[in-house]
Amino acid sequence: MRRLVAAVAVVLLTSLTLTACGGGSGSSAQDPSHLPTKVIDVTFSGESVTPNGDRYDVAVGQRIELDVTADKPGEIHVHSSPEQEFEYDKGSSTIAVKPITTPGIVTVESHTLDKVLFQLQVK
Amino acid sequence: MTGLVIGGLLPEHGLGGAQDLPISRGLAITGAAIAVAVSFVVLAIAWRRPRYDAATSGRTAPRWLSAFVDSVWWRGLLRLIGLLALVYLVLVAVFGKDLLINPIFGIFYVWIWVGVPVASLLFGRVWRSISPFRLISTGIARVSGGEPDEGVFRYPERLGMWPAALGLLAFVWMELVYTHNVDLSPVRLWCGIYLGVMIIGGALFGNTFYARADPFEVYSSLVAQVSVWGRRHGRLVLRSPLANLDSTPATPGLIGVIAVLFGSTAFDAFRESPRWLRFTQDNGWSTYLQNNLGLLGFCVAVGVIFWVACAATGVGPEQSRRRLPDQLAFSVIPIVIGYVIAHYLSYLVEIGTQTLVQASDPLSTGSNVFGTGGLTVPYWLSYHPTFLADLKVIAVVAGHVVGVIAAHERAIKLLPVRHQLTGQLPLLGAMICFTVGGLYLLFSS
Repeated sequence: MRRLVAAVAVVLLTSLTLTACGGGSGSSAQDPSHLPTKVIDVTFSGESVTPNGDRYDVAVGQRIELDVTADKPGEIHVHSSPEQEFEYDKGSSTIAVKPITTPGIVTVESHTLDKVLFQLQVK
Repeated sequence: MTGLVIGGLLPEHGLGGAQDLPISRGLAITGAAIAVAVSFVVLAIAWRRPRYDAATSGRTAPRWLSAFVDSVWWRGLLRLIGLLALVYLVLVAVFGKDLLINPIFGIFYVWIWVGVPVASLLFGRVWRSISPFRLISTGIARVSGGEPDEGVFRYPERLGMWPAALGLLAFVWMELVYTHNVDLSPVRLWCGIYLGVMIIGGALFGNTFYARADPFEVYSSLVAQVSVWGRRHGRLVLRSPLANLDSTPATPGLIGVIAVLFGSTAFDAFRESPRWLRFTQDNGWSTYLQNNLGLLGFCVAVGVIFWVACAATGVGPEQSRRRLPDQLAFSVIPIVIGYVIAHYLSYLVEIGTQTLVQASDPLSTGSNVFGTGGLTVPYWLSYHPTFLADLKVIAVVAGHVVGVIAAHERAIKLLPVRHQLTGQLPLLGAMICFTVGGLYLLFSS
């Protein structure tokens, strides 16, 4: 038992030292108000929509804007905490999403089509 | 809070807003490398004679502790808690509003599904102690003069834990696939059927039914095998998790339970990945159907990988190969626990606390019955994604290490001498498959 514990400990320690050298935590404390607004184009046409399940990187607190072009009105749902809901009309419209303050993956869905439009990877 | 008051408007989404960030590539690779390295270290230098025997292992708990735990009033108190919880659940299910702030959703999907297993890892067989069904069947037995463990009929031995595996599958289907999973009436219906099956099953087969067929009790009791709390000839003992795990009885269907638990958690990670989303939304088929098949596929894949590993194990002439999956499946339990903790930890802390806030307002009338309505949800883990990612990989790797050692011990106990080392290789391969696959999903989705 002792031999096993020692060997497992050696393996763990070696790998931890190896990763400690390689891993640098890039936590740059940027002021989100200086970041450019993240603009995402969303185009609805019939039953299809672009983007379709893509993932976008945004910073914590970054402003997000959806430029929607649609052939009929509908609803977009942002699964942040708290959740956000937006309605859009036929034609072009702009939606300002409230900046997301908690890191994580936030899913944005169309309720009209029952589809995930995209996910925001908030870092 | 305003955004939450929109019950029934969240298709293809369970509780909670944001999910965890993926872990970094480097961390995933490191975790996988450690898992593989440890596996072979164990194989190469671990003991060659069985160490654990459930009949002798463990230290007897101090007298005051076992007197306390086995006292009538302590057991009664736990049963009372379970009964009150059931009454509360029925209350919010029947009289509560169909809103997301109804605490039933958080209790069902977070407290019972994630909270009870975590509590069982710390305190032992939690669900068994609070299960109101056991109270009911004990009551019936006392009135009718029967034995509470045996009902009218003997529970068929061959059925084993398969009914529990089916029940667990029904739960994860509700949680991960069914599109109206946060509407009140389907959750109420699910709980109603569960309640009915449990009461009828208990009346027919006694408490044995709960130990084998109650999905939540089976899950909780299996996790408790990795806690330090055990029983030897009915006496409370403290064991190392390894010795305790080794005392898990080989039961038919255990492999099914493992497959559903691990497969569903893996599918939960996979279904949110951009690749799956793009694929299912693009090909014109119903996403609901594809999610059904996806969940089933993941569970079947886990079961098949394990079954193939057992089929490839060298056995002695007298030995039945068909019994191997049941005899070895217990060693995957720690891998399941490690992965479940990695996947659901922030969910448990954040949505679990949110549920505690909502529980104080059972009927959504703005009341604060338990005084927990003002708690703030701790998002600390989400704000420290690097720490959370480290914790996840530690949980997965720790589960893997315990699992591999448990499998090694069982292999030298079961297999003939000439197969003891080579015979372990297929199982080791399956375990590496699960752990590396789990890490890959934590990284890629």
